[in-house]
Amino acid sequence: MLVLRPVELTDLPQLQQLARDSLVGVTSLPDDTECLREKILDSCASFEKNVEGHGPENYFFVLEDLTRERLVGCSEILATAGFSEPFYSLRNRHFTSASRELNIEHGVPALSLCHDLSGHTLLRGFHIDAALVRTRFSELLSRARLLFIAAHSQRFSEAVITEIVGFSSDEGHSPFWDAVGKHFFDLPYVEAERLCGLESRTFLAELMPQYPIYVPMLPQAAQDCIGRIHPDGQEAFDILEREGFETNSYIDLFDGGPTLYARTPGIRSIAQSQTGTAKPGASIDARGSYLVSNDSLKDYRAIVADLDYQAGQPVGLSAEMCAALNVTEGSPIRLIAL
Amino acid sequence: MIVRPVHVTDLPALLNLVHQAGPGFTTLPANEERLAHRVRWAQRTFAEQVERADADYLFVLEDDDQQLVGVSALVGAVGLREPWYNYRVGLTVSSSPDLGIRRQIPTLFLNNEMTGQSEICSLFLRPDQRQGSNGRLLSLGRLLFVAEFPHLFGDKLIAELRGSADEQGCSPFWDSLGRHFFKMDFSHADHLSGLGSKSFIAELMPRQPLYTCLLTEQAQAVIGKAHPNTEPALKILTAEGFAHKGYIDIFDAGPVIEAPVSNIRTVRDSQPLVLAIGTPDEEAPVWLIHNRRLENCRITAAQARQVGNSLIVDRLTAKRLQLQPGNSVRAVPLLNQQPQAVAA
Repeated sequence: MLVLRPVELTDLPQLQQLARDSLVGVTSLPDDTECLREKILDSCASFEKNVEGHGPENYFFVLEDLTRERLVGCSEILATAGFSEPFYSLRNRHFTSASRELNIEHGVPALSLCHDLSGHTLLRGFHIDAALVRTRFSELLSRARLLFIAAHSQRFSEAVITEIVGFSSDEGHSPFWDAVGKHFFDLPYVEAERLCGLESRTFLAELMPQYPIYVPMLPQAAQDCIGRIHPDGQEAFDILEREGFETNSYIDLFDGGPTLYARTPGIRSIAQSQTGTAKPGASIDARGSYLVSNDSLKDYRAIVADLDYQAGQPVGLSAEMCAALNVTEGSPIRLIAL
Repeated sequence: MIVRPVHVTDLPALLNLVHQAGPGFTTLPANEERLAHRVRWAQRTFAEQVERADADYLFVLEDDDQQLVGVSALVGAVGLREPWYNYRVGLTVSSSPDLGIRRQIPTLFLNNEMTGQSEICSLFLRPDQRQGSNGRLLSLGRLLFVAEFPHLFGDKLIAELRGSADEQGCSPFWDSLGRHFFKMDFSHADHLSGLGSKSFIAELMPRQPLYTCLLTEQAQAVIGKAHPNTEPALKILTAEGFAHKGYIDIFDAGPVIEAPVSNIRTVRDSQPLVLAIGTPDEEAPVWLIHNRRLENCRITAAQARQVGNSLIVDRLTAKRLQLQPGNSVRAVPLLNQQPQAVAA
C-alpha cells in the first residue's frame, strides 16, 4: 500500500536520496541536508498554521510505501508564488513591427523577464521513483495535491500554475541556457539550477537580463527549446494537462520549459471530486479505481483504491485502506475517479 | 581642380558619375528623377532658400576641362524633419558579489542623439582621379565651407561610415538583427534607406536596448567597424579631429564619427587672408582656399605662400577661384603641419 502524507523530519535521510535522483531542473529539491531540513520544518509549520488567506506556506508531501517503509516520491504546493521571494518567468509575446509607409506589419516574438505569475499557487517538486513512472501512483503523487487544494481552498489562490522541466541533454546541457542564461550568469546550466534550488535567489535579480530577448536572434537549437519539455517531465505535464491545465505565454528563465496554468475551481480533480463518509468493510464489487483522500490538514492522507462507489452512499473501504487513510466509520473523505 | 556647388546642367555628368559608383553608394542612388530633385534642392540650398533642417549642400569636383570627377555633400541638419536614429554602444554590467560573477555586456541603445547636427556624406571620387590632393580637396573643402559659414550648421559634424559587408553586399550585423524586424535583405533595406525611407525603417526596430551577446559572433565582430573601402576617408577625417564616440549605424553597425565644429583642424586653423598673385616658391605647401562665397562658392587646392595677411598664389589659382588680387579668401594648409599633440 502506497500512501501520500505530509513530510516529517524523520523523512530527511530518505528524502535526500530522492533529491539526489531527481531531475536537474526540479530546483525545489536540492541535494543539501540543511536545505532539506529547513524545507521540512517549513512545511510542518505550514500544515500547523491557521491561515485566513494564502501566504508563504509550502506544503510538502511524500509518497510512502507502507509495506517496505520507504519513500518513493515527493511533491509540493507553494501557496503563493512570489510571496517571500520574487517569482520570475519569461513572457513570450510578440513585439509588433509596423510601418504604414512601407506597408509592413509583423510580429517578432520577444522574451521579457516578468513577475506576472506572482500570486498564483505553484505546484512543484514533483519527483517519483523511476520504477513508478507512468503508474497510477504518479497520478496519486500529482493529483492528491489538487484534492488537498479542494479540501482547503481558502489556503490557495484562484489560479494554479506549474513549471515543467525544459529540455536538457543527458550530459546536462540546455541549448536554451547556453544561448541565453549563460551570457548573463557565466555558469553552467546544472550549477545555475543547483544555486536556484538552494534558494540564494537574490543572484537571479542581480544577473538577469532586464531588456527583451528577441527570439529570432537566438540559435535555432535554443528557439526549439522554447516550451519544449524534458522527456522525464512529460508525465508531469500530461497528468496536469488532463486536469485542464493549459500552456500559456510564460516559460522558464533557465531552460525554456513551459508553464501550465489553470483556474483553481475549473481543475478537474477539484471541480469533480466527491465528498462522502468512510464505511469500513471490503468492497464486494470493486469496479472503479479512485484517488481517495481524508480531507484532513496536518493528518492529510491520500491513496489509490479500487472501490464500489455509489454517489450519495458511504464509501466502503478495506481495513488496510482505512488504516492508510487514518479514518474510521463516518470520517469525511473525498474521492475522484482515477 | 575646383570644388563648387552642383548645378542643374551637371545632371547628365553627375548621373554618369553615380553610375560608376555602383549600388553600394546608397545615399546618391543612380535614379535620374531622384538625382534631379536632389540637384535642384541643392541649388536652392546654396541660394539660401531653404531652412537648415532641409539644407543639402551638394558639391562637385571639376577639372580645368569642366569634367565632373567627384561629388560630396554636406547636410545642414539631420533629424529635424524626421527622426534620426543611431545605436550607442553602451555597457550593461551584471554582477553578483556573492557568487563572484561579474559580466560586462556591451548593449546597444537606440537614440536620437545626433539630432540637429550636420552630416558630411555622399563622397565619391572617380577611381582614375584618386591622386594628389583630389581626395582631400573633395572631402575637406566641405569643412572649409563650414568654417566660413558656421551659422548654417550644427555644433558638430558627423559622418556615417559604411559598415562591414561581404562581396555580395550582405551585412552580418543586418543578418543578425535588422533582418528579423524587417523581413527583407540588407540591399533592399539599404536601397529604401537611400530613397529617404530610413526613419520609416527605423520605426520597425525595437526601442528597448539590445544585448550584443545575443547577436551572432560575426555580427558582434563588425560593430563599429568601417568597410575597408572607407579607410581613406576615415584616415582623412581622423586627422581632422573626427573620432568614433560609440555611435553606430542601426543597419550595418558602421561607425558614426563626429567632431565639434570648432575643434576640426580645417575650421580651427583656417584664416581669412588677402589674395595676392605671384610665384609661390617650389617648396611652398599646398593650401585649401575658399573664395568666401556661398552661392558662387569655389574651393581649390594649390601651392601658396603666406606673407603677413596675404596669401600668394599663381594666376591660374586666382582664376579658378574667380577672384582678383586684393579679394579676401579663407585658407588653411591642406595638410596638418603641426606635429600631432601627444595625449598626456
